Amino acid sequence: MRKVALRGLFARKLRLALTALAVALGVTLIAGTYVFTDTINRSFDRIFSESAKGTDASITPRQAIDTSDSGGTAPTVSRAVLDRVRRSPSVANAAGSVFDSGTVLGKDGERVGTRGAPNFIASLADQPRFDGFTVKQGRRPASPDEAAIDAGTADKEGFALGDRVALSADAPRKEYEIVGLTQIAGVDSFGGTTVVTLTLDEALRMLGKRGFDQVQASARPGVTPLQLRDELRAALGRAVDVRTGQEEAREQSLDIRDSLGFLTTALLAFAGISLFVGAFIIFNTFSITVAQRMREFALLRTMGASRGQIMRSVIAEGFVIGVLGSLAGLAMGIAVAPGLRALFRAVGVDLPSSGNVIATRTIVVALAVGTLVSVVAGLAPAIRATRVSPMVALHEGAAPSLARPSRRLSLLGGLTLAVGIGLMSVGLFGSLSTNAALSFMGAGASATFLGVALFSSLLVRPLAAIVGRPLEAMFGVTGRLARENTMRQPGRTAVTAAALMIGVALVTFASIFAAGARDSIASAVDDNLRSAFVVQNVDGFSSYSPNVLAAVAQVDGVGSVSGIRFSQARVRGIDGDTAVTGVQPDTFAALYRVDGEEHVRALAPGSVVIGKGFAQDHGLRTGRRLQLTTPSGRRVTVAITGIVDDKGGLTGGVILDRGQLERDFGERKDAFGLVGLASGADADTVQPAIERVLEDRFPEADVLTAQEFKDDISGQVNQLLGLIYALLALAIIVSLFGIVNTLVLSITERTRELGLLRAIGTTRRQVRRVVRYEAVITSLIGALIGAVLGVILAVLFTRPLEDFPLSIPVVTLVVLLIAAGIAGVLAAVLPARRASKLNVLDALAHE
Amino acid sequence: MQLATSVLVSASDVTRVFGEGEASVRALNGVSIDFPVGGFTAIMGPSGSGKSTLMHILAGLDRPTSGSVTLDGVEITTLDDKHLTELRRERVGFVFQSFNLLPVLDARENILLPLSIAGKRPDPEWLAQLIDTVALGDRLDHRPSELSGGQQQRVAVARALASRPAVVFADEPTGNLDSRSSGELLALLRRCVDEFGQTIVMVTHDATAASYADRLVILADGRIVHDGEAGAPGDVLDLMKAV
Repeated sequence: MRKVALRGLFARKLRLALTALAVALGVTLIAGTYVFTDTINRSFDRIFSESAKGTDASITPRQAIDTSDSGGTAPTVSRAVLDRVRRSPSVANAAGSVFDSGTVLGKDGERVGTRGAPNFIASLADQPRFDGFTVKQGRRPASPDEAAIDAGTADKEGFALGDRVALSADAPRKEYEIVGLTQIAGVDSFGGTTVVTLTLDEALRMLGKRGFDQVQASARPGVTPLQLRDELRAALGRAVDVRTGQEEAREQSLDIRDSLGFLTTALLAFAGISLFVGAFIIFNTFSITVAQRMREFALLRTMGASRGQIMRSVIAEGFVIGVLGSLAGLAMGIAVAPGLRALFRAVGVDLPSSGNVIATRTIVVALAVGTLVSVVAGLAPAIRATRVSPMVALHEGAAPSLARPSRRLSLLGGLTLAVGIGLMSVGLFGSLSTNAALSFMGAGASATFLGVALFSSLLVRPLAAIVGRPLEAMFGVTGRLARENTMRQPGRTAVTAAALMIGVALVTFASIFAAGARDSIASAVDDNLRSAFVVQNVDGFSSYSPNVLAAVAQVDGVGSVSGIRFSQARVRGIDGDTAVTGVQPDTFAALYRVDGEEHVRALAPGSVVIGKGFAQDHGLRTGRRLQLTTPSGRRVTVAITGIVDDKGGLTGGVILDRGQLERDFGERKDAFGLVGLASGADADTVQPAIERVLEDRFPEADVLTAQEFKDDISGQVNQLLGLIYALLALAIIVSLFGIVNTLVLSITERTRELGLLRAIGTTRRQVRRVVRYEAVITSLIGALIGAVLGVILAVLFTRPLEDFPLSIPVVTLVVLLIAAGIAGVLAAVLPARRASKLNVLDALAHE
Repeated sequence: MQLATSVLVSASDVTRVFGEGEASVRALNGVSIDFPVGGFTAIMGPSGSGKSTLMHILAGLDRPTSGSVTLDGVEITTLDDKHLTELRRERVGFVFQSFNLLPVLDARENILLPLSIAGKRPDPEWLAQLIDTVALGDRLDHRPSELSGGQQQRVAVARALASRPAVVFADEPTGNLDSRSSGELLALLRRCVDEFGQTIVMVTHDATAASYADRLVILADGRIVHDGEAGAPGDVLDLMKAV
């Protein structure tokens, strides 16, 4: 039996290849994701453990709340702590160092690296053994005017020893002479980032720090790192964290893993989508081939094969396809991992990599998932194969008859659809944790797609009529035949189209969501921004030196300037971290509209105003007191003096005076600056004047008009959308293989018909056309259902979002439909060629 | 020149060899034959005699290994696929043993298919006459699955005649029909010859079917062993036995 199954499988090599490829592409993304993220993680692990090599104990500021993601001011370790460390009898040497983001300018005067690739300014330790890097060429900086730069950046930007590089951070722009090129862990690039190293005092000045980001200590002979750690813990108290060097390296690695974890999850989600689409194709392929081979199964049954044997032989085919596809996918995944990195770099996320890491987990998961998916997808057809009566073998082979859409399947589809919508509703409206809600919505979306796929066999006829009519009008009988062919086996067409539908629905959904996000940001800016300009970091999200806005305020024609700072607090009685916004009460309301601005104007140290949503969520009223824990661990009690409604969404839950934010939260950097014009000043002359000052002194900041600000945010949304499109493209490519596969199989089934068409004078070209139009109609059906479903899902998902402007991107949808049509033409190339190459006589004699 | 004697299809010294070397089979061995306009010829012969191969070659579906074939004045053995397709579309009609109707089209659409493929408008008068002749008036909107075998084959005959081909090739047209349907179909073919002057070449192994023809050609081992009047079924059987 197995021999029969396997022989049959390998006899149809094209089908085998196409089906296996449908699995392979999803597995490719799984394997690629693992290899990619493992490689990044290992690169960071090596960087951290290498840089901690000379360190026995590391002292870092203890943060009550992790603010590292907001890019604000991190707390530091004071010089007094360093002095105490040095006095410890077990310490041989100790040194403080700093490492924080700044802006490094390339030779072209622009910030180095694509948007989002971090630039860092680091200090030399005064002991070379604590340096995290080695000097590859040249020497360590020795004077305040000298710098060392990582060899990777130097190579990319064309810096050589003796060149000058400009930096800006807290202090204004300054040029340094490059005296050294650095390496870390034997690699030129510091994980895709740019790191410029200065002498300690110069780095402190540049970064505007009074304390250190880290104090490193080495133990006297005979003292182990663990002993040193414990001794220092006892001596230094709870204000700082003390870890051994290796513990510190692990801690940093874990941080990076945490922040990259979402990336892995997101990529695996896209892999899941592709595999889901692939499962449709396997299901369809098996359904068709099982139907075509009913006589073969019947013959085996007459010869005494049991139902179980028949079923096992079909499942064995699924297993073989799954294994082959997974193996191919694994190989391709390893090959494309660098491509994923290139994809992320294209949208501005430069991640480090040094050689591919292929973990056992990658291999096991890729093979298991791919095989499981194809076995499961082949299960239903396998069961159907067992239902064949041995009598079938004895009958004359009747031509494949027309199949009516199965009522039972449609009913099942309707039920699955209802379950899917129910699950999504629970995810959307139920009060669940984010993870649970996402799981519900994901499961709901899968069930919805499945339901629509089953149900859509009922839609195939009317839709084929709609999209087929124009083809028929234009191309006559070839169009007519194509349309009829898509309607012959509505279930088959429906599943084929459904595979494409999934990709199209998700693209539609993403584009509607993105359009809504862009619109809501644009209208937020239009409605609420009263300032002439916005000052922000050139990278679009980091905060910047307080000296920037001070400098802007000096420019002629600038009226008022208002800086906005962000931090986090833990509010007693409220789970999780709360976003805190520091504003300048005297200028804020004039430059930004909130309902209840008089409360903002009246802010004083010790008082806060809270956002309307925050107040509602936690049942807070004016007059109540809040106990806040700041990132540095300080506890402050504040009184709520008002509730404001910020429709623009700039401010967080708690708004307080910027001075208090600096004092109690340690936040010195501004995230946004709102700049108003002096009366009578002309925006067209003031903006260039501000630009000149910023370029000259603080190139890390940019001044944007409201329109530029909107464009900038749209650009970021579009970049993200582009990335999503690129990943969804994989699912769409998989579904195109499905169209190819279905066509090839249908053509085999209709060999005799094709022979007849050729015999009565149909040209090869006309035969190709029939096949091509069939593909186009199928893909248009998929695209139409997908677009409608995408719109419905988008409406459903955005309902809980207040004030989310819902606009249907008609142009995008039309482009999508046209693209689907073209994709259909492409998918038809191979099957059409096969169909037209059929030998007339052989085809007529075909059983 | 008299119309009745003008040659429509002509094969001269046609040989067809399948396979190569020792395993090769000589299906046709130097066959020469002419088919005049307006004739109804039956080709018979035992299995493997080469009768189907001859028909395929005459119709331009297959190429001879050597020899030449002209159809309506055109040498077809050297035509490329495109011109052969055109030739089939314009001048040749087919009727197959297994009907070979398109299941997705109804009877009328199947009849009109060759015209649609050629992008031609049907001549309504001819069409009406044709439909009248094949007696399908009330079944025209039915799909093949809703028609009996005899009805399906009559649709196939109408389809073959729709483009007014120079010659219709029928390959065992009654092979899948019961005797009553067979009789009706053969009578239909006969009428086409008598009323429309249609040239028909029919391959069959049924003596009764052959007796409807004007002329009987018998092949054996790739050669013509008899070429003469068809006569009554009994005569045909006798001739076949002789072979």
